[in-house]
Formats: sequence, C-alpha cells, structure tokens
Amino acid sequence: SVHESLYFNPMLTNGVVHANVFGVRDWVTPHKMALLVLLSELGRAGAQLGLLERRRLNRLLLPLLQGPDMALSRLRKAIEECCPHLAGSVHIRLKLMAEGELKDMEQFFDDLSDSFSGTEPEVHKTSVVGLFLRHMILAYNKLSFSQVYKLYTALQQYFQKDEKKDGTDENEMELTNPEELDGKMEKEELDGPLREEEIACSGPLSQKQAEYFLSQQASLLKNDETKALAPASLQKELNNLLKFNPDFAEAHYLSYLNSLRVQDVFSSTHSLLHYFDRLILTGAESKSNGDEGYGRSLRYAALNLAALHCRFGHYQQAELALQEAIRIAQESNDHVCLQHCLSWLYILEQKIFDSCVLLEHSVNKSLHFGLPYLASLGIQSLVQQRAFAGKAANKLMDALKDSDLLHWKHSLSELIDISIAQKTAIWRLYGRSTMALQQAQTLLSMNSLEAVNVGVQQNNTESFAVVLCHLAELHAEQGYFAAASEILKHLKERFPPNSQHAQLWMLFDQKIQFERAMNDGRYHVADSLVAGITALNSIEGVYRKAIVLKAQNQMSEAHKLLQKLLIHCQKIKNTEMVIRVLLSTAELYWRSSCHTIALPVLLQALALAREYSLQYLASETVLNLAFSQLILGIPEQALNILHMAIEPVLAHGAVLDKGCAMFLVAKCQVASAASYPPQKKIEALESAILNLNEAKTYFAKVDCKEQLRDVLYFQARLFHSLGRTQERNKCAMLFRQLHQELPAHGVPLINAFK
Amino acid sequence: VGRAGAMAAATMVAGGGDFSDLREIKKQLLSVAERSRERGLQHSGKWAAELAFALEPLPLSELPPPPALTEEDARDLDAYTLAKSYFDLKEYDRAAYFLQGCKSQKAYFLYMYSRYLSGEKKKDDETVDSLGPLEKGQVKNEALRELRVELSKKHKAQELDGFGLYLYGVVLRKLDLVKEAIDVFVEAAHVLPLHWGAWLELCNLITDKEMLKFLSLPDTWMKEFFLAHIYTELQLIEEALQKYQSLIDAGFSKSTYIISQIAVAYHNIRDIDKALSIFSELRKQDPYRIENMDTFSNLLYVRSMKPELSYLAHNLCEIDKYRVETCCVIGNYYSLRSQHEKAALYFQRALKLNPRYLGAWTLMGHEYMEMKNTSAAIQAYRHAIEVNKRDYRAWYGLGQTYEILKMPFYCLYYYRRAHQLRPNDSRMLVALGECYEKLNQLVEAKKCYWRAYAVGDVEKMALVKLAKLHEQLNESEQAAQCYIKYIQDIYSCGEVVEHLEVSTAFRYLAQYYFKCKLWDEASACAQKCCAFNDTREEGKALLRQILQLRNQGENSSTDVAAPFFLPASLSANNTPTRRVSPLNLSSVTP
Repeated sequence: SVHESLYFNPMLTNGVVHANVFGVRDWVTPHKMALLVLLSELGRAGAQLGLLERRRLNRLLLPLLQGPDMALSRLRKAIEECCPHLAGSVHIRLKLMAEGELKDMEQFFDDLSDSFSGTEPEVHKTSVVGLFLRHMILAYNKLSFSQVYKLYTALQQYFQKDEKKDGTDENEMELTNPEELDGKMEKEELDGPLREEEIACSGPLSQKQAEYFLSQQASLLKNDETKALAPASLQKELNNLLKFNPDFAEAHYLSYLNSLRVQDVFSSTHSLLHYFDRLILTGAESKSNGDEGYGRSLRYAALNLAALHCRFGHYQQAELALQEAIRIAQESNDHVCLQHCLSWLYILEQKIFDSCVLLEHSVNKSLHFGLPYLASLGIQSLVQQRAFAGKAANKLMDALKDSDLLHWKHSLSELIDISIAQKTAIWRLYGRSTMALQQAQTLLSMNSLEAVNVGVQQNNTESFAVVLCHLAELHAEQGYFAAASEILKHLKERFPPNSQHAQLWMLFDQKIQFERAMNDGRYHVADSLVAGITALNSIEGVYRKAIVLKAQNQMSEAHKLLQKLLIHCQKIKNTEMVIRVLLSTAELYWRSSCHTIALPVLLQALALAREYSLQYLASETVLNLAFSQLILGIPEQALNILHMAIEPVLAHGAVLDKGCAMFLVAKCQVASAASYPPQKKIEALESAILNLNEAKTYFAKVDCKEQLRDVLYFQARLFHSLGRTQERNKCAMLFRQLHQELPAHGVPLINAFK
Repeated sequence: VGRAGAMAAATMVAGGGDFSDLREIKKQLLSVAERSRERGLQHSGKWAAELAFALEPLPLSELPPPPALTEEDARDLDAYTLAKSYFDLKEYDRAAYFLQGCKSQKAYFLYMYSRYLSGEKKKDDETVDSLGPLEKGQVKNEALRELRVELSKKHKAQELDGFGLYLYGVVLRKLDLVKEAIDVFVEAAHVLPLHWGAWLELCNLITDKEMLKFLSLPDTWMKEFFLAHIYTELQLIEEALQKYQSLIDAGFSKSTYIISQIAVAYHNIRDIDKALSIFSELRKQDPYRIENMDTFSNLLYVRSMKPELSYLAHNLCEIDKYRVETCCVIGNYYSLRSQHEKAALYFQRALKLNPRYLGAWTLMGHEYMEMKNTSAAIQAYRHAIEVNKRDYRAWYGLGQTYEILKMPFYCLYYYRRAHQLRPNDSRMLVALGECYEKLNQLVEAKKCYWRAYAVGDVEKMALVKLAKLHEQLNESEQAAQCYIKYIQDIYSCGEVVEHLEVSTAFRYLAQYYFKCKLWDEASACAQKCCAFNDTREEGKALLRQILQLRNQGENSSTDVAAPFFLPASLSANNTPTRRVSPLNLSSVTP
C-alpha cells in the first residue's frame, strides 16, 4: 500500500472524490432527462411524423445533446418550432413524471433500455443517439439511493420552475430561481452582486459539454474572433468552469488565448503556466511509467512560453525560453519538437538579424522529418527574405508555386491563404499593382478548404488582414477613397482594435489619410498623423515626418532626418526605404536648385531599384532623373528616358504619379520643341496639350487642386502660343478660379515636378 | 431589546489598551464565555475561557451573576433547553424544528445557527456523492440564501444582537460577498466587542495593511488582541511581537494563546531558536495541546531534531491520532527519517481530515520532490496555490521542481512570484540569483545576491556567490569586498559551524592582496589559509613568496593593526527588520 501512494492519488482532490475518476464523464440532469423523454417520444411517434418534421428534429438533436443545459421552456420552444405535436406529448410525459412518484422515474429508466432490444431495435447502439442513451443509462445506474432521490427532486424543481414561469413574464425567467421566497420584498432585498453571481453560475457544464464549449470557442478564436464570446464574458465562463472543475486543464489554455486577445501579459503567462502544470499531471497519469508524455509537455511548455514572450515583444526572454526548450528537446532526442524550436529560433533571429542559413537548414530538416507545415512555413519565410534581398523574382515565384503544390496536397488551407497574401505583398513590392490586385481578389473570393469541411469560414487570419489592407491602399491610390474607407470599415469590424492584427489596418488607415492630407496640402493634418504612424512603425513614421518637413519648406531639418534614416535603413537592409529616402533627398536637392548634386543620388537610387527589381520605384526614379535633365537643359535626353518609365507608371502607378508623369512629359515636349522648325513645333505642342489633358483628368481624380492649377496655367500658355484664344481663355478662367481658392506657394511653376 | 442590552455590554468594556482593571476584564471574559457556550459557539467560548484562565481567580462575591432572564427567555426556555441538547448532539435539523417561532435572542440565534450548521453539514456530506459539479454548486446555495434573506430583514430592522450580526456576516462570507461581510463583522465587533469569533472572521477577510487602516474598529482592549493577530497574519511580525509583548506586560503572561501566537510569529521570521524555546515552554504549560504543534514540528524538522520530533509525534498520536496537526507532525517525522512515501501518506490523511488545511498540500509537494515524483509534486503545489494564492512556499516549491527539471528560465516565474510574496526572504532571492546565473544573466544575478545579503541572508551564501560572480567578471575589487563582508559576517555570528567557503574567501583575499602588493594583509590572510585543510599548502607557499618579496623590497611599516576582516562592532546590522518592496527584476515580464 505504501508503494501505491508513490503515485499521486487522483481520486483525492480537495478531499472530494471526483466523478470523472470512474470514467463517467457525463451525468444525468433534469435537462438530459427531458431529452431522453424527447427521444423516446420520437421513437414512439415513429411513422406518424412527416419527413420535414423529422428532418428538422434530427437537426435540432445534435446541438441539444452537446450543448449546455437549458431551461425547460426554452427546450419546449425549440421543439415546438420543429413539431408542436411532439412538444405537447413531451410536456405531458414530463408532467406525469414530475408530479407522480419516484417510481415513475425509475420505470422510465427501466423502459429506456428496451429501445435497444428486439430484432429491429429503434436505436442503433453505436449511433450518436444510442451512445447518448447508453451513457445516460449507465450514469443513472451508478447513482446511489440518495443521489437518485436528489435527481428526482431536481426534476421536480426543473418542471415547477417552468410551470411558474408560464404565469410570469418570459424575460424574467432567467433571473428567477426555484426557491424564490414569496413576496417581492425578499426579491428586492437580494441586491446586485448576488444575483449577478447566480447568473454566472447558471450553467455548470458536464465534462462533455465543457469540452464542446471549449473546442467551439477555441476554433472561433482561431478562425473568426468576432463570433466568439467577448473577452470578458468568455473569461467569466471559464472561471465558472474552473470553479466546478479545477482540473480542467484545457480551460486554462483557452484562458491563455483569451488573455492574449486583450494583450494581458500577466494573466496570459499565469494561465499558460497553470495549463502546463496541469497537463504534466495528466500526462503522468495516462502513462504511469511514461516519461514520454510528461517530458514532452515540459518541452512544449518551454516552447510555448517562448512564443508568448515573442508575441509580447520580449525577445530576450523569448530567446532564453527557447534555448531551454531546445536543450530539453535535444536531451530527449525529440526531433519534431526541435524542428518547432528551429522555426521559432528563426523568427526570433529575424527580429535581430537575418540568417538565411538557419532557415534553409530548417526547411531541409522539416522535409526530412515529414513536417509539411513547418517546411512550407519555412519556404514562405525564405521567399519573403529573398524578396527583400533582391533575388530573382522568377525563382521566388517558382518556389512559392512549389510550396503551393505541397499545400494543396496536404490541404493546408491556412498556408494557402498565407501564400496568396504573400504573393500580393511581393507584387506590391515589385510595383505591379495589377497583379497584386488580382491576387488579393483571388484570396477574398476563394472558398476556403475549411469551409467545405466544417462550415466555418477562416477569415480573421493575418493573411486576410494583409490582403485587405493592400486592397484598401490600392483603391486609395487609384483615387477611390470611398471604396478604400469602406474596406477599412470592414477591417475594423473584422479585426476589433484590441485584436492581434489590428495594428496592420491602423497603420494603413493612417498612411492613406496621410497621403490624402498631403495631396490636399493640409500639412498640419499630415503632421498630426505622423505621431500615430510612428507608434506603429517607427521607420515609416520618420520618413513621413521628413516628407511633411519638406513640404513645409523646412529643408535643412528634413535633410538631417533623411540622412539619419538613410544610415539606419542601410544598416537594417531595408532597401525599399533606402530608395525612397534617396528619392526624397534628391527632391530636396532640386528644390534647392542643386540639380547637379541630385543626379548622383538619383543614379544611386536607380541602380538599387534595378538591382532589387523594384520596378515601380525605378520608374519613379527615372521620372525624377528626367526632371533633373529637363531643368539642366537637356529635354531631349529627358524625353528619351521618359519613354522608358512612362509605360510602367501608366500601367501600375498611382493616379497622382500618372498625372505627374504626364505633366512632366508635356513639359519636356514643350522644352524640346523650342529648337524645332515651326511646323513640327506646333505638332509637339498639340501633343503636349493632349498629355496635359490626360494629366488633368488624373489630378482631378485625386482632387489635387494645386497641380490642377499648374496644369491649367501651362495649358493656357500653350494655347496662347498656338493662338487658340478661346481655349486659352477657358483655361485661364479655370486657373483664375482655382488661384483664388488656393494660396500661391512661392515655387516657380517650372521648377516643381511634384 | 437585544440591541439595547448589547449596547450596555459595549459600554461596559474598558477603553482601548486600558488593561488597568484586570478583574473587570476577567468578569467580562467569563460572562462572554458563558454566553458563547449557550449559543453553541464553542471556539469563541474556548478562547475566552483560555484567556480568563490566565488571569487571577475571582472571589465568590465578584463572580459575574448569570445573565438575567427576560420574559421572552422564560417563554422559550423549554424549547431552548430541548433544542440545545439536540444541537450538542449535532442533530441540527431537529434542533431547528423545535426552535421555530422562538422570539428571544438566544433561541433565535440558536435556531438560525442550527440551520446554518445543518446546511454546512449536508454540503460536506453531499459533495461526496453528488450528481456532479451541478449539485455541488446548488447545495451551497440552499440554506445560505434563505438565511441571508431572513437575517438581512432582521438586520434592516436592527433586531440582531452581536451574535446575530456575527452569523449574518458568516453567511455573507460564505456567499462570497466579502465587502458586505466585512461591514457586518465590524458592526458585530462594535455591538459585542467581546466575541472573539467576529474578530477572527475579520482577520480572514482583511488582506493588506491598507484595508486595515480604513476600518473603524471599536476602541476596546479586545482590539489589541485583534491587531496582534492580524499583524501576524499579514506577516508584520515586528508589530505583532510588540503588541503581544505589551499584552503580556499587561498581565496575560500565562495565556497559552499568546505564547503560541508569539511562537508562531518567531517561526514566521525564521528565528528558530526563540520559537523552539517558546514552544517547549508552551508544551510544559499545556502538555495536551494539539493546536500549533504542526508549526512546532516544522521547526524541529528544520533543526533536524529527530528525538524531539519522534517524542512529539508519539505524544500527539496518543492524545488524538485523527487530528490534522497530528498527521502533519507524523508526516514531518517520517520525512526527517527519509521515509517519504509514508510521509506523503500522512499528509494525504491530514487532507482527508480537513481539505482546507493548505499546509499539507505544500508539505506533500516537498515529499514528492524528495521521491523525485516531479509531476505529483507539481500537482500538489498547484493545489496548495489554489487553496491560497499567497502560499509562497508552494510557489517556491514549484520553482524548485522546475529547477530540478533543468528549466531555469521556466522556474524564474515561480520564484519571482514567491519573491513578490516575501520580498525580504533571502532564500527566494538566492534561488532567483542562481537561476539568472544559469541563464548567464549576470547583472540580474548580481542584483539578486546583493539584495539577498541586504535583507539578511539566512544561509550566508549570497555573498560568496556574489563574490564568485565578481571573480568571473574579473571585478577583483568588488569580489574582495564581498569576501571581506562575508568573513565579517561569519565571524560576527560567532557560529561554530564550519563554513566551507571561508577557506575559499581567505585564499582569494590572500591572492588579491598579494597582487595589490599589500603584504601585511596578504600574509594575514595566507596565515588564515593555513588553518584549513584544503588551502594549507597554498597558504604556506604564498607566505614564502611574500617573505621573499618583502626581503627584496624595503622594510615596510611594521605596525600591525587589528585584523581588518574582523568587524569593528560585532553587532551586525543585517537583521531583516525593514519591509522592502519586491525587487524589480525586469519590467517586461510578470
């Protein structure tokens, strides 16, 4: 007997013997008895029921069997909706039982097992209903005398509560309790806190019901957070659950997930560790000799802790935890766990510095151990990194295609989503907005694999957030601001502000607002947005700050900021930002009329953009270059290189950029026409006017009045030199109108390109 | 009527801290003991009687008269007498049945109290064979809710006397309405300050010093007992000891209750010798006492006093072997004999006797740890935490378990928890420091060791560890400082126990001074080295070297001061007196 005590006695918790120790995970409650009555009535009714009614009832049964206990009136209503006749007979049978004697209930349970007997039993033993029936019969037979009596009184209360309620208001049903003492006095005396507590305690769940509840909520959290219970009420339910069954480890895990939703470090750590403390116990129990189950959960405990710290941005702590997980996993030769660790290690390293080697290694190993999920996750990370590193686009796309094959083979729908989102982002990076648009639409209109299986649309993953954000920005770029804000509104609904991916749309929202403010020339608004952007992404924030400074003609401050940013971005190898910073710097130079200094900067930017195949940035650089050349007095050369850039800009560019490009083309045409013979000159000017018209429509789309004004002025001059007075006057009039609206900024017209 | 009578009783009680009239106090104690007994409140009665016993006996003429009977009392007398005898036989429902409709305060209280106890008894009985969690929740509500409704009505009408208020408070507490419960208990203490039960319930509900400050308590001598008790609970040991001392000075020197409380207080600040001597004294005065003996056995266990512990275990076993404390003592006894399986068995038995006895969970965890059954240990500790979140030993035990499983980072969380609960306990700090050291977080480790030393190191190891850390980091200056402090510490304690690391300290110091060319100090240290086996050779070699170098160089000053490593005054001021806030180790993690 001493030896037995070596193992923890699971029957003894709080000095109380737990029911589930005997393998009874379910017990008889009045609600369940009502269901049993329903089932037996169903069997009795047999052929009398119509097909439609039968189908409706069958659909009703499963949630009833799995769900939490409910009041009799609600149950009756649910049955009535399917088949009023049956509801009546269920009610009568319950009434007979509740108002009869104990022996009626005993008789009922005796009769229940008959449904299995006979040559053609009504219920198949292994069907869902059959299992439920057998569970209930078993649970009932295990009850002691006093328990049977208690069950019977509970049934009576259950029924009486319903009877009483019929008289009183329907809504108040939830609140009233069986032993309500008569008179309103007492009721009023029961003040707030107690009543609230009682509501919370309303539904103690059986283990099965609890499992169902947990898995349902967990999958909702994963797939569609908005449909899950709100954090506070979910936590309340969990606390309630744990109060009645403190050993229910999974509830702690769900509580951990729930705390993550509200970014609560303290309680999430607490719940996570509690979960693993409990899990370690169950692991030891299931395999009494087993170091296997037990050690395994230790490793994953450390790994999860690392994940938690990583999630909250405690990278150093995460690394320590990860090291621990790796060490334990190594000691016990758990390659699968090691693989997981490796992936996390990569993620962590990525936060600090890039390391392709680690990742490649991880992918190879994962393939070797047959972990397709980790492998393709690795491939995706690798692709992302390579894309930033400027590797050949065709190879990357090939790799993504290969990993897509893997996903479809293993039906990893989550990874398919990620892959598409990644393609969207990569196309955007390369500046191919049409392709990005297409990919984004693909993901949004694709039916997820999960949908086929479970009926739950996976739609609050990061991929969706990414794609939707890109979509919003793409629309904003094309001047469809209403559509963009519609998308953002949708994002706000789908990813509430405290959820994990909310920061993404917050950033995009502010970026779009910023662009609009800049276009409208409301620099103070833009400036106020900078703080918000900085909070979400410091590099982007600094860049925007510099742009605002530039627009406000605070050149030296802007230059200082840009130089700092340039050095930082070069260090962290953020090439995209480096090019943008170079472009802005060049712009600063030509605004200060130092075109000769701007040229080498622009050439550097061009070289970088070409090397990293960031096509759109390259064409933007070319535009800048052309402008510089124009100012330096070589418009022919400028026109030449413009031909190179104008095509991609028109195909993929933002409306504003298109307008600027066309305006620039027109300027170059005019400038180069100066040396032409008169006939050719007129032709050149005509085509310049056409280009200006195009630029005008673009500017009108995004409501850039300043640019519009400039174009009109320019056009008026052209018409004047062509002698077309009527058109000239029209343009001049429009110009005058705009000019009165807007304050003049001192920069000479010809010198402004953007 | 009852309220007026109670008010009269309240005015009878002398003002706060006024113990001049011990006879009056004794009278009050005797009468309240009687009144509690009449109402079946045995524990309060016992407490009052114990305290009364500690005071001088009264002459016949001064004995308090039996409480006068009112008309109502007389009417209910028969029912009360019958019901009280049923009550004493634990037939609560029967007692309640015969008390129905009684109007007198005493009978009414017994009526309500029987109903309460009946509900509690049924709850305990039924949790064993309930239908499942569903029933567990309901059992609790039934009796309590009705009682609450009835009592709150009476409370509003101001018809409750001190005992009635007490019962109302208990019902509220059982319903987890803590705030309301505190208010009612405070009211009960005002109406009937002599009833210790109400004070004790208050003790359990008050969780920190701030809460205590905002209570308006009656200004009576009972308040002193309450304050002393709650200070002990809140680990404000200094204050508690002061209070108890003044109570003893006031004339309660013979009270076993006070003596045991003082012993427990010393136990809490780990002043083991004092606690041990007080407990021995207590056992002499009250040889058949079982209360607090588990604490005594813990002390004996820590000091590894096997024969004493064995004697205590046998003695208690003879008195009553089915008491929680007895089981706990026996568990400790087996544990000391390294029979951990049996020890665990006895702790389990203690828990069967009283599921709310949380110390046993922690102790059981320790036993499983000894048996290397880590998973069971974790489970046991978790249970302890579930019963009481502030059980620092359980948190510490969890940390140790994970440390044994070689998860230093993982166990940081648990140690930190323990540290937060006991900010000036050096053991947690040293454990934290060791973990940080393992994780190579030397800055944090240094902080921990230093703080451990600053709050008064129990095991005297923090300084050595700190010194070794400095040594590792090549901070020889600080390392030497630490070693010097360490040696001073050891010497000032005057402990005979040979400390292993003393030789290491001297060796390092000798080398250090040698490098610094401080020959006198170096040779003093080297000579000290020679006193230890493991460093003798090194010491001698160093001495020879020093001699050579000295002869080469000029003759240095010869005045030999007192050895620097002996402290100037032997009173080391490192006793853990100050309350300190938890160490802020890293702000980002919980």
